[in-house]
Amino acid sequence: MKNIRILLATVYVPVALVLAFAPVKTNKPANLTPQQLLEEVNSSVQFVSPDAVADRIIQQDPFLQLIDVRTPEEFEKFSLPGAINIPLSQLFAEEYQGILNQSDYTNIFYSNGTIFSSEAWVLTRMKGYENNYVLMGGLNYWAETIMNPEKPADTNPNEEVAKYNFRKGASQALGGGAMESADQGSILSAPKPPIKKTDKKKRVAGGC
Amino acid sequence: MSESSVPEFRKTRYFNPYVGGVALGIVLLLAFYISGRGLGASGAIKSTIVAGIDKIAPKHAESTAFYTEYAESHPNGPMKNWLVFEMLGVLIGGFISGAIHGRLKLQVEHSPKITSKKRILFALLGGILFGLGSQLGRGCTSGSALTGMAVLSVGGFVSMMFIFGTAYALAYFARKLWI
Amino acid sequence: MGPLIIYENISPDTNFFLAFLIGIAFGFILEASGFSSSRKLAGQFYGYDTTVLKVFFTAAITAGIGLLLFGLFGWLDLDLIYINPFYKWSTIIGGILMGAGFILGGFCPGTSFTGAAIGKIDAMVFVGGLFIGVLLFTEGYPLLEKLYMGSYKGTPKVSSAMGISDGLFLFGLVIVAFGMFWVAEWAEKRFPLKEESK
Repeated sequence: MKNIRILLATVYVPVALVLAFAPVKTNKPANLTPQQLLEEVNSSVQFVSPDAVADRIIQQDPFLQLIDVRTPEEFEKFSLPGAINIPLSQLFAEEYQGILNQSDYTNIFYSNGTIFSSEAWVLTRMKGYENNYVLMGGLNYWAETIMNPEKPADTNPNEEVAKYNFRKGASQALGGGAMESADQGSILSAPKPPIKKTDKKKRVAGGC
Repeated sequence: MSESSVPEFRKTRYFNPYVGGVALGIVLLLAFYISGRGLGASGAIKSTIVAGIDKIAPKHAESTAFYTEYAESHPNGPMKNWLVFEMLGVLIGGFISGAIHGRLKLQVEHSPKITSKKRILFALLGGILFGLGSQLGRGCTSGSALTGMAVLSVGGFVSMMFIFGTAYALAYFARKLWI
Repeated sequence: MGPLIIYENISPDTNFFLAFLIGIAFGFILEASGFSSSRKLAGQFYGYDTTVLKVFFTAAITAGIGLLLFGLFGWLDLDLIYINPFYKWSTIIGGILMGAGFILGGFCPGTSFTGAAIGKIDAMVFVGGLFIGVLLFTEGYPLLEKLYMGSYKGTPKVSSAMGISDGLFLFGLVIVAFGMFWVAEWAEKRFPLKEESK
C-alpha cells in the first residue's frame, strides 16, 4: 500500500505542478446542434430591417459592417456604403474568419434577395459565430423602402409618416431618388441588433 | 452475540483503495468526456419517485407544483434520464463484482454490539435523512461532492465539508452502532 | 472533441447506453473497493478504515487532473461541462442531513445500491429510506421551496473565488490529499477496531 501511495504521489504531484503553470486555453466557438439552430431560425432573430441599417449608416456607426455575399462582379456594379465583399462560395476562406467570428462588430449579410444572405447566416451560425445578421429583403427590398420610399396617405398614423420622412431623408443621404412606388409592401421592422460578446454554447445540464 | 473476532469485511479481498480511486477517477473523467456531466446517484431516486407518483396518483401529480414543474423541465418523462440508466448499471456492476469476489450473500451487516433489528432501523432512518438531504443539497456524495470536487466547484466542496463534517461530529454519538 | 454529446452529436440514446456502461464500471469499482460494506464505510469516521477518504480523494484529483489535461490538449471543451450550482443554505442544510444519514445509516446512495446488489439487507433498507426521504421532499416542497431556491450564488469555482488559476488550486488540492493519505495511514494503526486489536 505504501508503495502505491508513493508511486501515485510521484506521478500526480509533478503533473499537477505543471498544470498549475499551464496556460488557460481560450476555446474556439462551438458548433451549434441542429436543434439549437432550428430554434434560432424559427424565432427569426437574425433579420434586420432596412430602416435600422439605413439609420446606422447615417449615424456612421463605427461598429456596423455590411457584408455583400454576391459575386465580385455584382459587388463592383453596386454595393451599399461601407460594405465589403465576401462571396458566398468563399465564406469559409481563412482570411474571412477573423471578420465573421468576432465580438466587436455587427456584421450584416446582404444579397439581392435573402436567399444567399440567409445561407451565409445559417452557415456561420452553425459554426457558433455570433454577431452576424441578415438584411431583411436584401437589396431589392432596400431599393423599395429606402431608395424609393412609398409615400403614405394623409390618413395614415403618425409613425408611418415619420417612417416615410426618415426613408426619404435616408435615400437622399445614401444617394437614391424619391420615385413613386406602385405596390404597398408591409412594413416590417426589427429592433436594432445589439452587440453581444461571443459566448459559449449551452452548457450540459446535469446534477441529481 | 457471535464470537467472530474478525469482521466480515476484513475477511475478503478488496482492491487497493488508491487503485480503486484512480479507476473511479478515470470513469468520472469518461463520463465528462462523453456526456459533459459527472456521476450521480440521488437524482435517479427522484426520477423514480416522480414516475411512481405519475403512475399511482396522476391526479395528485397534476395538481401539485413540484410534479408539474418537473414535468415541464423533463419533456421526455422522468425515467429517460442519464442518472437512471447509470444507476441501473451500478446495480449490475456491483452485482458482477460481488459475484466475482464471492461476496454475494443475503445478510444484514452489523456490528456485533447491536442487533440486526437495530441496524435495520438505523439504516432506514439514515436513508430517510440522506434522501431528504440529497434533494436539498442537489446531489449526494457521488454527484455533488465527488463530481463537484473534480470540477472545483464551490457547491461540491461545501457539500463535501458539511457531509463529512456532520458525520464526524455525530460519530461519537453513533459510536455504539459501529465500534 | 468532448463532450461527445455536443461536439460529435452522439444521439441521446447512445448517451444513455454509455451512461449504463459507465454505471456498470462505477458499481463494479465501488463494490470491488469495499463500498458495499456499511461497516467499512463507517470506519472512516472512527479511524479504523480510511478507504472512503483514499478512494474519494484519489478519484477527485485523478478526474480533476484529467479534466485539466484534456482541456489543455483540446480534447474536451471545459466551458461546456456541468458545474454544480451553489445555493448556499440549501447545500449546507442538505449536507448536514446527509452527514447524519451517513453516520446513522452507514451508506450513501451510490454505495447503498452497490450493497443492495450483493445482498446486503441493510443496504436495501437504506435504499427504501432514500425513497421515503425523497418523497418527503417532493411532497413537502411548498414548505421547502424557499430554502431550496434561496441564496443562489451561481456556479462559482473555488479557484475563481480564491482568485487563483484552476491548475494552481488543483495542485494545492493534490498536496492536501496526499497529506490526508499519510494521516489516514497513521489513523488506521492508531484506531483499530477493538475486535482486531488482539
